[in-house]
Amino acid sequence: MFRNTRDAWGAPAKLFHWLMAALVFAQIPLGWTAATWPLSPLKLNLFVWHKSVGMLILALALLRLAWRLGNPAPALPADTLAWERLAARASHALLYLLMVALPVTGWVINSAANIPFRIFWLVPLPAIVEPSKHAAELAAAVHFGLFVFLATLLLVHIGAALRHHYIKRNDVLTRMLPGGGART
Amino acid sequence: MRRLIWLLGLLAAAGWQHALAADWRMDPSGSRIEFVATFEKSAAPGVFKEFDTRLQFDPDRPAQSRLDVAIKVTSADMGSAQVNEAIRGAEWFDFARYPQAEFHATDIRRIDSNRYLARGILSLKGARQPLEVPFAWSESAQSATIEGELTVQRGPFGIGTGEWKATNVIGGEVKVKFKVRLRRAG
Repeated sequence: MFRNTRDAWGAPAKLFHWLMAALVFAQIPLGWTAATWPLSPLKLNLFVWHKSVGMLILALALLRLAWRLGNPAPALPADTLAWERLAARASHALLYLLMVALPVTGWVINSAANIPFRIFWLVPLPAIVEPSKHAAELAAAVHFGLFVFLATLLLVHIGAALRHHYIKRNDVLTRMLPGGGART
Repeated sequence: MRRLIWLLGLLAAAGWQHALAADWRMDPSGSRIEFVATFEKSAAPGVFKEFDTRLQFDPDRPAQSRLDVAIKVTSADMGSAQVNEAIRGAEWFDFARYPQAEFHATDIRRIDSNRYLARGILSLKGARQPLEVPFAWSESAQSATIEGELTVQRGPFGIGTGEWKATNVIGGEVKVKFKVRLRRAG
């Protein structure tokens, strides 16, 4: 099954979801460790990994967003309340926004700090703002703020998925699993 | 007495020879020293904003020459506040203890028509190492330009100590490019 249907996610949508989940869960500890590690060759390498994964997330997020816009999501169960529908829509929209905004603010930090950088040591990343210590600090504060927001939203997202599965006992969680379809 | 006259004669001849080599002073506005380090497989360029060059040089008699360069290491600018903060530390340039680098050469020879090689000693961060500086010479009425490019290994000077000795993250070779405009002194 390629495209999404009324009841099920297509394979590309599932692949996007789990690939993004894996990258985000690698990216958070990478960024945290890189930022707090004392200045050393290891710290610089951790930052190259963090920035490279970030650019990968940005590219993937844009592709995923394009796919999502051309592929409506499966319907929520009929008994979903209005506030639940609203919460689901809002949190998903914010997650998409953050998947773009976090890499972009990271890119701004790197540009403003004027640190030479090649994605995975290969592809040079052009600067998107002029070098400026002030702009770098400001972008770093925004990047951190967005990270806290993302971490909170991820808890809500995972909590909601578990609530669907264990409390509401519907197929919202299982239908996103590889090979998973409607709950029987 | 005869010996003394000979000696005086020799000294005079030497002095006369020396007088042939013109004295040149640097014009800072037309002079630049740039360097390019390697940072995680990317080029990391920088400049030394303050330095001075003196040259005694006659392009047709390079053997009588002398090149003296003093570089204010603390004027290094790599275009990034974070990098500039890091390089001032003891592991890198150690600004506090070694604010100045010097290059002195009295052995200058011609390679071909306008290209020369100055072989001298570079003193940097307390280390003294032989260094060959190739340069192209061009001269107009009252000014001249020397221009060249060379590669310096940071290791022998202890630029990058401890963990930074490894050259996989910060490369071992630093390319140096210079263009110095000179004016005839006096």
